[in-house]
Formats: sequence, structure tokens, C-alpha cells
Amino acid sequence: MSKAKKFSLNRVIAVSWRVLTQISRDKRTIAQMIFIPAIIMLIFGLVAGGAAKNLPIIVDNQDAGYIIPSGQNSTSLHFGNSILSSLQLDDRVKVNVGSFVSGKVGVDNGTYYAAIIFPANFSEVLFLRNAGQSLNASVTVYIDGTNPTIQAAVMVAVQSSLQNTFGSGGVVVNEQFAFGGVQFSGLDVSIPAVIGLVLTQVVLLISIITLVKETTSGVLSRLYATPLSAFERLLGFSFALLILGIGMTGVVLFIGLVIFGAIVQGSFVLLFFGAVLFALLNIFLAVFLSNFAKNELQAVQMVPLITLPSMALSGMLIPVSTFPGWVQTIAQFVPMYYANKLFEGIMLKGYGISNLAPQLIIIGGIALLFFVLAVITVKDRMPD
Amino acid sequence: MWLLGLSGDSLANSSTYLREPVIETSNLVKIYKEGAIRAVDGLDLKIGKGEIYALIGANGSGKTTTISMLTGSLFPTSGEIRVLGLQIPKKRRIVSSRIGVAPQEYALYSDLTVEQNIWFFAKLYSMDRGSFLKRLDELLPILRLNERRKTTVSNLSGGMKRRVSIACALVHNPEIVFFDEATVGIDPVLRAFFWNYFRTLAETGLTIVLTSHVMDEAERANRIGLMRAGKLVEEGTPEEIKRRNSASSIEQVFIKLSEGTVADE
Repeated sequence: MSKAKKFSLNRVIAVSWRVLTQISRDKRTIAQMIFIPAIIMLIFGLVAGGAAKNLPIIVDNQDAGYIIPSGQNSTSLHFGNSILSSLQLDDRVKVNVGSFVSGKVGVDNGTYYAAIIFPANFSEVLFLRNAGQSLNASVTVYIDGTNPTIQAAVMVAVQSSLQNTFGSGGVVVNEQFAFGGVQFSGLDVSIPAVIGLVLTQVVLLISIITLVKETTSGVLSRLYATPLSAFERLLGFSFALLILGIGMTGVVLFIGLVIFGAIVQGSFVLLFFGAVLFALLNIFLAVFLSNFAKNELQAVQMVPLITLPSMALSGMLIPVSTFPGWVQTIAQFVPMYYANKLFEGIMLKGYGISNLAPQLIIIGGIALLFFVLAVITVKDRMPD
Repeated sequence: MWLLGLSGDSLANSSTYLREPVIETSNLVKIYKEGAIRAVDGLDLKIGKGEIYALIGANGSGKTTTISMLTGSLFPTSGEIRVLGLQIPKKRRIVSSRIGVAPQEYALYSDLTVEQNIWFFAKLYSMDRGSFLKRLDELLPILRLNERRKTTVSNLSGGMKRRVSIACALVHNPEIVFFDEATVGIDPVLRAFFWNYFRTLAETGLTIVLTSHVMDEAERANRIGLMRAGKLVEEGTPEEIKRRNSASSIEQVFIKLSEGTVADE
């Protein structure tokens, strides 16, 4: 009898052969191996290629201009108009003209990304400063600092217009931050989106595995012969997963807020409610998707198909306003897009229900839609 | 003693059991979509109250498909089914509270204990906690599971899991119980124990429909239905079948009537 070798490359190859043969029999896995990377690359390519454009801002040009006395002739200066014209030609921003006060309100309620004011003596100060007087010419920009990419695009547009008008140096830009004057850190602006991502990934994964486990355990064949209806089973699962979802939401918020010290300018109760509602959306999505998965492997394969495009299209990584127009339209069908707006609105902007009602209603509506789809597609008997 | 395999009903004939049918099928057909397999092909079945009816046949003969249709878990392609006088699958939810099923798989929650598994199914049959505990105290000693009450199912042997599966099927005192290959993988001692228990249950009026491909086991039933290729090719008491086929055992009858099916598999 031959002694078995301690290590055998043939045995290793036998295992690899078996694994590859099994996978080759699983057409769904093979399809996903091709389609998931293709779809993800396509989506990320589409969204990453854009730049911030047409960002709505409001300019209050109070500059009265300045007339330079010069003998019989006089020269009129109006730097405010020049900068305004330059801004209007910059496709990074879409300029609206109005009052600075109403502009600030517009920034606070999300209508504009920035409100800019040129003071009444702007041209005069600039002229006198250039003539040697020790004076400071400044523009004030009241800006939404919740999205660094957009904030940077607006400021670059402003600086660029100043550069075009005056060359290097000259004008000081006073940056005032909206939403309590807080200059948000990188962590502050990313935590709201991370909350959305974690709730999507974790709630979806745990929910779908829990649901599909019942399919693979063989219990369903017994359950179909009991008085338990498919609707009762779905509801029972949903209640249990909601309790788990509340727990997961608590953990996510605890880590974000307590460990990382993320800012919450608005109501914590609203934040918690919104997070639980979004978790419920993902639970119902998991319930719906579980009706199409025959085993845990297939269930798990569905999760990145949801979370990766959601990450790309929700504005989590790249602002939605930088996407091509048709991609922006698609983004509006992604639940995480609304979750990001909801969490960002509460945490960074201090918004309440009146501002966030649309996001809450949409998230609740999508959750209900997924539940209805789950009820329609759930199996209540053995397959034919 | 029933444990010795002696049937007190060996002199009874088929008509004895059919005075009060609780299960009736008429020209029952099931064609699975995948592969267009005709799993059940015109089955006419009548099973009486308090009967132990064994549906036997080779693998793939249609036994499990038949059981699944009788319990309402699988819808027939055509034909009629009546269980306890009610049409299946139309009234399956009503009937389901009066039947119990122990499927071919263990069909248990491996991370729950014996008691938790049985309690879950008891809840599905709307049993209250008091009635359940009383019933559990009856069932567990009979099924020799008393000492395993708090054991997680994943830590049980195959035979114990089968007993838990049977307990789940019987907890709510059903009128009919379906055992699909209930004694697969069971040692002879335990098998004899199960049959003794089945006999006791049948004497209380419970109708037992079981499937098996263990022929000597089938001889212990009141009546046998032998399936082949989705059809009932022979039916009657064990004695009737053996007499009709001039055989000394059901196994001989089975082999004779199943000739040609091995190649099909």
C-alpha cells in the first residue's frame, strides 16, 4: 500500500478543479462574474468623468462703480459688473442676481450653493488701493460647505473671475459658512453618506442571508403544509429584521456620532427615525430579492449589485450635479440618493421635517413598493 | 405484539378501510415544468380513517410528489384531491390545521432546541403555551426525547432529528399525518419502535400515510399502494397483494412489477 504524501500538488489541483467545475455549472455566478464588474466600471466611469457644472449661485452686485476724475474727461470703473460678467461666462456656476440676504436664505434651504456680495464701494476701494492707499477690497461669499467638491468648484469659479478681472492679488474673499458657520471637516461631510452605505450593505446582507437560510434548510417544504401563509411569513420576518435593523442603526449612529464625533446640527430623533426608515427599505428590498435566490451564495451575490451602483449614483463619492444629465435622472431612482440627502440635511444643515419631508416620503414610498413587490413574488408553495 | 411484526389486521381486506375515506384523489396528474416530467400520471387514491397506508415505489416513482400534492404544498397539473372532505389546494389553509407532515428532509431549525422547534410549529397551529407544554410532556417521553428537550437540533443524531420531526408533525393532534420516508437511515430497533408507535396512533383514529422504499416495512401497513412511473400499479392489504401476485413477500411483488424501471433511472 503506497504511503500518502504529506503534501500533494495533485490533491491541491483536484480541489481547484472541483471548485472551478462547480462554478462552471452555476450559470448565474458566471453571468455575475461578467456583468457585475462591467456594470460597476460603466457606472463609475460615467459618474467620475464629469465636473461640477451649472452650480446655482446668487450674486448681489451692490457695487456703485467709481468715476475717476480726469480733467475734462472721466473714466467710469465698475469692477462688480466685470466680475459678474466673468462669472456668468463660467460654466461651473449658474448665476442668479438677487439680494444677499435672500441669497443666504436660499443657501440655507438648498436653492443655491453660494451667495456672493460685492459691497457698494467695491470699485472705489480697489481704485484707491491701486493708487497706493492702504485699503482692503473684499467680496463675501456665503457658501454651503457640506460638499467639498462643490464648495471647491464655486470658490475656484469666484477666484477665476477675480483673476480674469484683476490679475493676481488684490481682492480678499471672505468665506462665510452656512449652517451655523461651521467649517466641516472631511469626516463631517463623509459620515452621513457612510451611514447610508453601511445601513444598505449590512442590513441588506444580513436580511437576505437570514431569509434565504430558510430556503436551504429544507424547512419550507414543511411550512407550506402548515396554516402559515406566505404573507404572514413575510411579515414575521420583517418584524424580526426591523428589530435587528433598529439595533444595527443604533450601532452605526453610536460609532459615527460618539466614537468619531460627527456633527449633528439637527434633531437626533429625526436622524434615528430616518435611519430606521432607510433600514426598513433595505429589509423589504432583501425580502423581495430573497424570492429569487435559491441559496446563500446567490443571495450574497445580489448585494454588491445593489450597493456598488448605489455608492456611485447616490452622490456619496462624487456629487450628483457633476454627472451627465441622463445619469442624474437615473440617480433619482437610487434609494441611497435620498438617504444621503436626508442624513446630510439633518446632520450638516440642521434641517427638520419641513425641509426633509420629500426625502422621508420617498424613502417610505420605496420601502412600501419593495414590500408590495415582495408580497407579489413570494412563493407560497413548492415550485412547479 | 406489534413489535414482533405480527399484524392484527392481516385478515382485514381493503374494504374495511374505505368505509370512511379521508383522502381521495381522482385522475391526479403532476407534470413538472422543468424537463416536462410526468411525475404523477392519473392517480386514483382512497385512504380511510384510522388506516396506515404505505405508498411504496422506487426512487422517482412519484411518492413524494403525491404526498406534496395531498398536503397542499404542491399544486397538481390536473385531477382532483379531497382531504377530510375539502378540496385541495383550494381549501388547503383550512385543512392544514388538521394535518401534520414530516417531510423527507429533517426540515428543522438546526440552531433552535428540540423544544423551541416543536414550540414554533405548535404556534403555527395556534396552540397556546399551556396546551403545548402538556402535549410536549406526552410526546417527548414516547419519542424518547425527554432528556434532549433543551438540546440544539444541530447536536442531535439523525435518528433523534427524525423523532423531533415526527413530534413537530404530531404536536397539534392532527387527524391525518404524512410521513415521507420517516424511517430513512434509522436502525432496526428504532424502526420497530416507530412502527409500534404508528400502530398506537392509528388505533386512536389517526390516519397515517407514509412513503417508503423499504419493502419489509411496508408489510406492516394496513394497505399498500405500489407506485411506478407516477401510476398506482398495485394496491391492497399486504396479504391481498402477495396473493394476487403469487409472491411470498412485498419485495418480490415490487421487483416483479418494477422490472424495467432501473434502466429508466
